[in-house]
Amino acid sequence: MYILGIESSCDETSLSIIKDGCIEVSTVVLSQMDTHAYYGGVVPEIASRMHVENITIVIEEVLKKANMTMDDIDAIAVTYGPGLIGSLLIGLMAAKTLAFIYNKPLIPVHHIAGHIYANNLVKQLEFPLIALVVSGGHTELVYMKEDYSFKILGGTLDDAVGEAYDKVARVIGLPYPGGPNVDKLAAIGKDTYDLPLPLNDDSYNFSFSGLKSAVINLVHNEKQRGNEIIKENLATSFQNRVIEILTKKTIRALKEYGVNNLIVAGGVAANKGLRSSLKEACKKENINLTIPEIKYCTDNGAMIGVAGYYAYAKGLKADLSLNAKATMELK
Amino acid sequence: MKYLFIDSATTNLVVAIIIEGKITYLYNENDGNDTSAKLMPIIEEAFLKSNVRPQDIDKIFVVTGPGSFTGIRVGLTVAKVMAYSLNIPAIPLSSLEVMASGFDEDVTALIDARRGYVFAGGYDRNLNVIYEDNYVLFKDSGLSGKFVSFDKFSFETFEPQLDLIKIIKKHEDDEPVNPHMLNPNYLKLTEAEEKRLQDERN
Repeated sequence: MYILGIESSCDETSLSIIKDGCIEVSTVVLSQMDTHAYYGGVVPEIASRMHVENITIVIEEVLKKANMTMDDIDAIAVTYGPGLIGSLLIGLMAAKTLAFIYNKPLIPVHHIAGHIYANNLVKQLEFPLIALVVSGGHTELVYMKEDYSFKILGGTLDDAVGEAYDKVARVIGLPYPGGPNVDKLAAIGKDTYDLPLPLNDDSYNFSFSGLKSAVINLVHNEKQRGNEIIKENLATSFQNRVIEILTKKTIRALKEYGVNNLIVAGGVAANKGLRSSLKEACKKENINLTIPEIKYCTDNGAMIGVAGYYAYAKGLKADLSLNAKATMELK
Repeated sequence: MKYLFIDSATTNLVVAIIIEGKITYLYNENDGNDTSAKLMPIIEEAFLKSNVRPQDIDKIFVVTGPGSFTGIRVGLTVAKVMAYSLNIPAIPLSSLEVMASGFDEDVTALIDARRGYVFAGGYDRNLNVIYEDNYVLFKDSGLSGKFVSFDKFSFETFEPQLDLIKIIKKHEDDEPVNPHMLNPNYLKLTEAEEKRLQDERN
């Protein structure tokens, strides 16, 4: 079964053709990152404008790359939320138009389900599992008993982890996107700054705005005292706190739920510090860890095509009145 | 010839199918919201009631703006994907011309663009352009005469009137646009881009 996956929830127009929920036939990603870098973050109206300019070009490319036509496609899966509404609508309208013209089933996919299922391209998911979803818009611990069943154990109460990275990057003068740049710097610094471990409690929730504020205050105070900030050390200190709390709560969830499989998903899963911390902890606890290749951590149509396959198997289907939603829970 | 017409740029959503110069389906409602949910089911109904398939369509006429940025993109994405997939020409149209099409006299069509600005376009009874579509501060525009708009202004405006056949006839032989290049005509930069230009000037 061939599924065309369509993703446009933020600043990437991406389409992919996925065979049987695990084989990537072709993927095209048109990223707008360079444009938004000028503004220091994604500008929603510009993102929407670029999606509409690019959409048919990406459709053409993904089919050409696979040497297929729309007649070879069995179903169309599309991200309908959460995300930037103007961006989501381009992928959604394109998906509905294709489903209508070619009379194909339309499968609605939750963006986070997509991120989780990106792991299926590495290795078939084994259940039960815990998924740690970390990105610019999300920080969630999800329990999955079986395919396409999601139970949110906890999530961020304020900033998503990637958001905190971007803000900290700005404070210490690193260019957008902040996450990869902080990660790079953190690799060469030392943990010398006294920063709090955020929301170190019994819940599975996260909070990064306090830690972010602590970094901002620290930089401000040091400046007032005329002290130079050692950027790499601040990056290391910040990243260590983030990684420590993410690792700690994730491992606790695995133990409490008696789960042996951990998968990591979302853009921040590309973070080298986080990857190595989780690897180490999972090795110690004898837990099977799966992390997608870096190219599948960021937004892409492949993950939507994979998730779409399992959603369809569960009977999820939408009609042509399907609408996009900026916010929605993973269920 | 069989044509599909889509206008989702204003609060007035229009979907029509025209076969051999006759309107076989027309949805023309000023009911504003949820265009993204409504549009495809309406298009589906248009084809069903006209007893044609998408593959039978020879040409798509689509309003590319000005108007609601999101609204424009919703209809345009459909037209773009359809024109590309079916390999048929697409003809871009002005929302202001569509609003002015049903009048037998010179009119200026207006869309409220907030903070005193309007999108304005003047057309005569044959849809020749009198005042080219523009984004302008109304009080400085010098525009006068008969105004038509779906929006409320402090001065008198008339309800826009649609003459679909007149629009189609006027543009039937326009040069089609490659679907990849069929893009919105916002007539206005994003605020971020405006600010960037301003910063670069200073």
